[in-house]
Amino acid sequence: MKLKKYLSLTRAGIIESLQFRLATVIMVIGNLLYLIVVYFLWKSIYASAETDVVNGMTFTDTLIYLVLATALFNFMEMYTVWEMGRNIQSGKIVLDLLKPMEYRRYLFWSYSGSFVTQFFFTFLPTFIVVSVVTHGAVPLGINLLFFAVSVVLAVLINYSIDFIVGTICLYTESIWGINIMKQVIVLLLSGATVPIAFFPEPLKTVVYYLPFQSIYNAPLTLLLNGSPTPETVFEILGTQLLWCIGMTLLGKLFWKLSLRQITVNGG
Amino acid sequence: MKRKGLGFYLRIYGKILAQDLKSKMSYRADFIISTIGMIFTNIAGFASFWILFRNFPSINGWNYYEILFLYGFSLISLTPVQCLLDNNWSLRSYVYLGDFIKYCFRPINLFFYYQSEVFDIKGLGQLAFGIGTLIYSWIKLGLGFTPLMLLKVIVFLITASLIMMALQNAAAATCFWIHNSFYLLDMTLKFKDYAKYPVTIFSPVFRFIFTFIMPIAFIAYYPSLVILRPDEVPLLSWLSPLFGCVFFWLSYKLWMFGAMKYSGTGS
Repeated sequence: MKLKKYLSLTRAGIIESLQFRLATVIMVIGNLLYLIVVYFLWKSIYASAETDVVNGMTFTDTLIYLVLATALFNFMEMYTVWEMGRNIQSGKIVLDLLKPMEYRRYLFWSYSGSFVTQFFFTFLPTFIVVSVVTHGAVPLGINLLFFAVSVVLAVLINYSIDFIVGTICLYTESIWGINIMKQVIVLLLSGATVPIAFFPEPLKTVVYYLPFQSIYNAPLTLLLNGSPTPETVFEILGTQLLWCIGMTLLGKLFWKLSLRQITVNGG
Repeated sequence: MKRKGLGFYLRIYGKILAQDLKSKMSYRADFIISTIGMIFTNIAGFASFWILFRNFPSINGWNYYEILFLYGFSLISLTPVQCLLDNNWSLRSYVYLGDFIKYCFRPINLFFYYQSEVFDIKGLGQLAFGIGTLIYSWIKLGLGFTPLMLLKVIVFLITASLIMMALQNAAAATCFWIHNSFYLLDMTLKFKDYAKYPVTIFSPVFRFIFTFIMPIAFIAYYPSLVILRPDEVPLLSWLSPLFGCVFFWLSYKLWMFGAMKYSGTGS
């Protein structure tokens, strides 16, 4: 079975992340604290606005959007760039390249266990708390299904971007700088810091043509829309799918070309 | 053992710094990319305020330029922790792998020796950006200028830096007791982002927490009141230099306590 070898990596990942129980507890607490901070911050921001609805978003919408964006971020952040960068610097990458599995796939599946644990420990608690706090403002219906599909696509796009950025490390031997640039660009332009609906006009249009909004804005838009028209769903998921294919191909090609670059110290 | 004077430590610091800079210079690309990354982060912070204030007139009675003042202030006060205490980020792996023991055998202050090993130059880019932001908002607010004000700003910037250093020290020191302390450090780093908002947006309970338990309110809010709202400076603002020293001293003691307890890994 082909899938079996991947799933065993997932299993190992789950076991590994369950080893660090305290870290998980800290993360859950940190997440809740963050939720509280965002709540108060945006409450006071909305208090200074004259209207309840700003750019088509109410306070509740914004809260759900931002809190879940953070939860998604924790869920999706795979530290791929760090992992690749460190492996390149230490030379461990040679061992990974020798594995009977494509490096790109190996890296993804060896992290996939954390998706499972993160989903149950970070995303689900946050989702439940938000639903309760906002008195069920999150519509529960067909949109959950679209959301799930959208998140899977978002994970793949995010991973592809990470992988491309990680490949750049082969050339630059700089990890911190490259990673922080990526993180800042992704978080700002994907709407995870300020919802894209608030962006001023020319910027908004530009952002919609970039792949980043497919990571956070797309799934969250689908989630918050209780009764979406088939066209919107099709448009959002289609855009995501296109980006997903495009970025994956680009990442593969770039990696293939860059592999010749690797120089590892012997020893 | 004779107590070593300040001059002695300054001389040593100079020597270690020179070595560190030399080794950094051999990774010139990394330095340049990291500096650009740092500037990116700051610009993104600026951009999110800009987007926010295009939609909302103020946050809890604080206008755009006042918030920028807080932002600039917090950036400057973060510089010392970025430049001088960056080695705290590696403390975890030093302790975990057992390399930390080497620091315990030197006849100089352990904390000083450990922190002096790394000087993070990219923090200086942040300093420049912070000063720029502060001056820009200062002019836009029409605050005027007297030597006394400059003195106040400097004193309170030092205060704020002490608090930030204390927070990071304490978070890093936890690794002497728990293994995966990265999450705690990371969490502290995330929360310092909220230092740039006025603490009055929070409910009394959280105002208390952010003042006395996780004192991020001292990083920008309380010190800035002295300049921005000279008529309504609370007692806490005037006391903040004292708090800064106390918090720093406590964190130093905690750090040293952990380090003294450290028994190596046996290898």
